[in-house]
Amino acid sequence: MSVKFGLLALLADAPAHGYELKTAFERRTGGSWAINIGQVYTTLQRLERDGLVTEPPSDGERHDYRITSAGTKALEGWFSSPVIADAPPRDELTIKVLLAVAAGDIDVTEILQRQRRASVEQLQAYTRRKAQADPDQDVAFLIVLDALIFRTEAEIRWLDASEARIRGLSARAGKAIP
Amino acid sequence: MTRPIELETAERCFGSGHTEVVALYPTTLSVDRGELLAIMGPSGSGKTTLLSLVGGLDRATGGRVLVEGKDVGRMNPSELALLRRRTVGYVFQDLNLLAGLTARENVSLPRELDGAPLAAAQAQAAEALDSVGLGHLADRYPDDLSGGEQQRVAIARALVGGRGIVLADEPTGALDSLTGESVMRLLRVHCDAGGTAVLVTHDAAHAAWADRVVFLRDGRVVDEARPAPTHEFAIGAAG
Repeated sequence: MSVKFGLLALLADAPAHGYELKTAFERRTGGSWAINIGQVYTTLQRLERDGLVTEPPSDGERHDYRITSAGTKALEGWFSSPVIADAPPRDELTIKVLLAVAAGDIDVTEILQRQRRASVEQLQAYTRRKAQADPDQDVAFLIVLDALIFRTEAEIRWLDASEARIRGLSARAGKAIP
Repeated sequence: MTRPIELETAERCFGSGHTEVVALYPTTLSVDRGELLAIMGPSGSGKTTLLSLVGGLDRATGGRVLVEGKDVGRMNPSELALLRRRTVGYVFQDLNLLAGLTARENVSLPRELDGAPLAAAQAQAAEALDSVGLGHLADRYPDDLSGGEQQRVAIARALVGGRGIVLADEPTGALDSLTGESVMRLLRVHCDAGGTAVLVTHDAAHAAWADRVVFLRDGRVVDEARPAPTHEFAIGAAG
């Protein structure tokens, strides 16, 4: 995602100038995404070029940007579309495990366990932060933490399933567990 | 100082000779006071066996299991019953509560069985239910409580009367994420207050509430995890 729809969502609430947009963006995204002010102005210029926001003539010190009706329409389209992850997955871990399985002489179980330990340790760190957060004050932060936690948990479940598949294969082949 | 739980090359085999099956190979492991320990591993890895040895539900066939310095394997049935009434509380995945008793009666039962006067047992039960946030539901029967509430009552029952050690076998298994989390928070609070808990789970997100996660595979401890230093993950990385 680009910063584009983030800024449009903020401007749909109220007109604002660049620095207000930067701080509101960071606050609303639970501190998960720090943006610099240069990025904000570059994005605003592009949005203005595309007719999605306007910067009314300066009436003194403030330069408030406003969302246009085309901007509102673009934002509605974005909110109503599901986010589909890119497929097929080409992340390093998947590739590493596949290559280790294919190599035949590598202890895949050990690779999986090393990764599992690292992922659980990461989960423990996230969970400590969660335990300290205030469920009423820190909702945005907790939602970000939950996203990290469930993604890491999914990775661990994938490690478990991969190990079960490899062990099942070895058992059926009557071989030692690789 | 005595540790709440110590396994000294504790082992559990079934059968003998050609038909021998080892559920738990000689395992040495201890749990400190104030520690929440999680045990993870696939089905059949020995998780529940290990927990049963600590809770005195099963006996080691080799080595020793010490709870508060006492050898569980040498206890007679009445000593084991005493251990469960005064020292160790158990929480299972389900079937924790007696359906014909209210939440308060379920929780006060271990104290009554221990010979506490009824009024004292009920006062302790009320206190334990308050500590899990269910004081207002004390007179409900289990069927009138949600799954999460039933598990919290089970934790209150495990803790009632000041038992310091909670053993939990998949206590969050049947619960949704946030309800499971509320159960884990209770175990965390118990340990942060100086209690001790051992949790068996296959759910990594719940195991992550623990101070230490031990991995079992084929009856052996193969690894353990402790929280990564928090600076290793950056919430707030530049986008």
